Amino acid sequence: MNGGKATLGRTAGLYLGAAVLRLALFTLFPGLPDLLTGRVEISTPVTSFKRLQEGLFLYNHNVSPYDGGVYHQAPLLLPLFALLPSFAALPVFTYLLYIAVDLLSAHALFQIAESGEPGASALYTSPRRDKRWSGFVIAALFLFSPFTIATCIGRPTSVFTACAILHAVVKAISGAPVGAMVALSFAAYLSMYPLLLLPPLLLLSYDRQLPGRATKSLAQFAATNIGVVASVLGMLFSMSFLITGSWEFLPSTYGVQLTLSDLAPNVGLWWYFFVEMFDSFRSFFLAVFWLHLSAYVGALTVRIRRQPLVVLTLLLGIFAIFKPYPSISDMSLFLATVSLYRHVFPLMRYTFLVASIIMYTTFLGPAFYHLWIYAGSGNANFFYAITLVWGLGLSLLVCDLTFAVLRDEWEVERPEMVGKEIRQI
Amino acid sequence: MRQLFSFSLLSFFSLCFAFLATAADYHEQLVLRPLPLSALLASFNFRSNTTLSAFEAHNFRFFPRSLGQILQHAGTRELHLRFSLGRWDAESWGARPWNGAREGGTGVELWAWLEADTDEAADHQWLTLTNALSGLFCASLNFIDGTRTTRPVMSFQPEGDHPNATDTNTHLLYGVLPHEVVCTENLTPFLKLLPCKGKAGIASLLDGHKLFDASWQSMAIDVRPVCPPGGEGECVLEIEQTIDMVLDIERSKRPRGNPIPRPLPGHELHCDTSKPYHSGDTCFPADSTANQDWSLSQVFGKTIKGTCPLTDPNVPPVCLQVPDARSVYISNGALEKKNQDGVSRCFEIEPETTDFELLLPSPEDLPADNLQAGQEVENIVKPETPLLYAERSFTGHGQERGGVQTILRNPSPDKEVEFIYMESLPWFMRIYLHTMQARIEGTSPSDHDPLIQEVYYRPAVDRARGTQLEVRMRVPAASTVFLTYDFEKSILRYTEYPPDANRGFDVAAAVITILSPNKNDTRSATYNLRTTSLLCSLPTPDFSMPYNVIIFTSTAIALAFGGMFNIIVRRFVAADEGPEVSVGSLKQKLIVPLRRIFARVKPGPR
Repeated sequence: MNGGKATLGRTAGLYLGAAVLRLALFTLFPGLPDLLTGRVEISTPVTSFKRLQEGLFLYNHNVSPYDGGVYHQAPLLLPLFALLPSFAALPVFTYLLYIAVDLLSAHALFQIAESGEPGASALYTSPRRDKRWSGFVIAALFLFSPFTIATCIGRPTSVFTACAILHAVVKAISGAPVGAMVALSFAAYLSMYPLLLLPPLLLLSYDRQLPGRATKSLAQFAATNIGVVASVLGMLFSMSFLITGSWEFLPSTYGVQLTLSDLAPNVGLWWYFFVEMFDSFRSFFLAVFWLHLSAYVGALTVRIRRQPLVVLTLLLGIFAIFKPYPSISDMSLFLATVSLYRHVFPLMRYTFLVASIIMYTTFLGPAFYHLWIYAGSGNANFFYAITLVWGLGLSLLVCDLTFAVLRDEWEVERPEMVGKEIRQI
Repeated sequence: MRQLFSFSLLSFFSLCFAFLATAADYHEQLVLRPLPLSALLASFNFRSNTTLSAFEAHNFRFFPRSLGQILQHAGTRELHLRFSLGRWDAESWGARPWNGAREGGTGVELWAWLEADTDEAADHQWLTLTNALSGLFCASLNFIDGTRTTRPVMSFQPEGDHPNATDTNTHLLYGVLPHEVVCTENLTPFLKLLPCKGKAGIASLLDGHKLFDASWQSMAIDVRPVCPPGGEGECVLEIEQTIDMVLDIERSKRPRGNPIPRPLPGHELHCDTSKPYHSGDTCFPADSTANQDWSLSQVFGKTIKGTCPLTDPNVPPVCLQVPDARSVYISNGALEKKNQDGVSRCFEIEPETTDFELLLPSPEDLPADNLQAGQEVENIVKPETPLLYAERSFTGHGQERGGVQTILRNPSPDKEVEFIYMESLPWFMRIYLHTMQARIEGTSPSDHDPLIQEVYYRPAVDRARGTQLEVRMRVPAASTVFLTYDFEKSILRYTEYPPDANRGFDVAAAVITILSPNKNDTRSATYNLRTTSLLCSLPTPDFSMPYNVIIFTSTAIALAFGGMFNIIVRRFVAADEGPEVSVGSLKQKLIVPLRRIFARVKPGPR
């Protein structure tokens, strides 16, 4: 599996295989897409495909989709899906769109892996960098991960965000900071939380500037690129305004994420906490949760300054646990980026435990949800407990990866400590 | 059909009285109609009016002052208030009384035309109105807030004449409380609005024990301005109070000699002998013929205490709709008048009569010479077939999502029915309009002309506004249409659940307004009906553990944050490097400051 030389033909075959598998699942099991769309683990209020269809229906019938409590997704998705042939009549075009987005994400991962950035960034070269997986393996791991396949069949709009984030990274690595910023703006426009990825992405593109067009001062570089993000976002917002005719999409898309007014169950930690929260403390804890989510950005960016891609990966993991409406599509993106760090896997301490927790929750989550909602023999605590375990397992993975990366850095300073017992003071 | 004619004839007469005989400003009438399966429909109608000038000068005579002042304060032009219970069994009882115009869905329903310059002003007046009516009628009308208020655009049309009204300053607001339990405390204020306060006249029959024991009952108050046709004469403000109830005769008669419900002995059962399985030990209850003998004092528990002295003497206070062939016994001081149509008769009560009793003997007791040879006489008036049957129910299972299915059946063999179907749903039922479809039974949706002609949809906003859905559609002759759509149930904050959270949430009845087949006549609805209300069960959290959830989630977050913080902040050293951490060093760290403290507290001898 390790280090295979990826030829163009093999990669094309891989993509073809993944596409055929998805198309087969779409067409051979006609009930499967709707079944997965209805799963709370895949569809959240801000990404659900069924809600997108409702928004599209209202949009096509000249009712503002934002003057209601169902549609909380970005306005530009509406004309995009309105351009496609009607889903009810020709669903295959929607299927093809989602398959294409998955393949684009996989190709971005392929390019990131082939660039060598995970093992050797501009400021730091890992002594273990040779022990890595090729882009082919990374792309295959992403494309054939059950989480990715389930996400693709369930068709949440979070796949667009994931694709934009990965392409922002690819552009940053290949020395195109403007492209990276534009891609990140799209991701932020679609789901808001990717805006928190801006600091590490800025550093990554600063480190990877092409020698000919390099800006020396980091402050100047940052100011320029923040300006790019702001102007692209401004453009996207004004296009949305033109499409919907009012600014009411802002509270309905981003406001819902900020205030968590829709408490639909999901794999995250927020929903049950705010179901049970006392009314007078609701806004306080909303602020605390958002502060907690954004607190990691600065700390990780500073501490792991030499490897910005690591920071991006860790932040994706943290978002997959702690953002307001997480789903397994965030998880599949995080796991795919974790696989870029094959070289630090030997330094990780809890891989078996994390793998077991992920398997355990993957199987018990749907079962407990069924017990609560359908069988009535369990209550909400069953599913809540599983989301807690899921969150703990993933946070263990995030911490473990941080540990492994930092130890890898430390062993450059202390080469004699490789394989020795260490502790932290 | 004959029967409908008689009913509309009665209404027409009473309308004429209202229009022309303004000198007699109050009248009341009770119409009794036996229904199949030993049921009895009693329709009480009280109508009084006052001229608009007298009303505006606070000059109240028959019009109740308490209600009049509320209406003036809230700028209400027309008001409709309904308190209803039970279900009208259209399959056996046929068309609804008053063509459904005087009934409401289960619970309390209120709609009014308010005069206000802006929508906000109308909302403010609506709040005033609901709060004031809440106090007047001892009902929770004050809970009709923004989430339960809609502004129907197609379903309701004003009944009164509004010559000065424009579209911009008249606002229709509609609120519904399906969870409200209608009971005695709502009847008492209702009766107090009457000129005779329920002490005399037909209102003396009304008693909470009987009214709220009925299979179906609807109390209605309608206030509307009525202008004489042609424009001559002064407009009047008319208040009409209506109570319709369907009594189970057998149940109503029970408290007399046998207060505890017991199964009847076998030989007293009335069986339908035409059933193939009828035998000595199986019995299918026979309809219509059984239990058709009753008297007023048996079913209502008392007799009518004379007439209300204020009522118009030209309107007979009591009417009974049974075929003329049946004989009726009445007490002294009353006069029976048979109407032309052959299926109804009215009774005039002389003013000095103190008790009026009416007894309808069982048809089996009829003298044999009343039966004409070879012809079977119908014992009761055959109920008229309604224009449409509607049944609404939930589909699907589980507490996550579901569907609503309304079955609409047009019994007419040759006439298409066009109507407006209106739902006002709570915000926590998130409906998916793109899943709405109508199909004729036995076909797929694409096989025929579109049944849905026009849709007005105002989606719900969480915690602020309910869903309003109005669909203009048609049902072809002699066919059944299924109207379905999907919805998702949202989980609420735990403080938003009622104390009986697992009982479920009431969903208001759908209002169906059948349009007149005459296309030009957009104003009048020919027939109204309402489906039953529904009970929607939402997913519930565990109400017992808000503290535990807060603690568990906080712990999980603290573990993640702490672990991360630990790794980021602390330095790596080899296991044998750095300061020693052992029990000994810890002890040393503790003992030194402690000794220092002790030394300060206990100064030794110097």
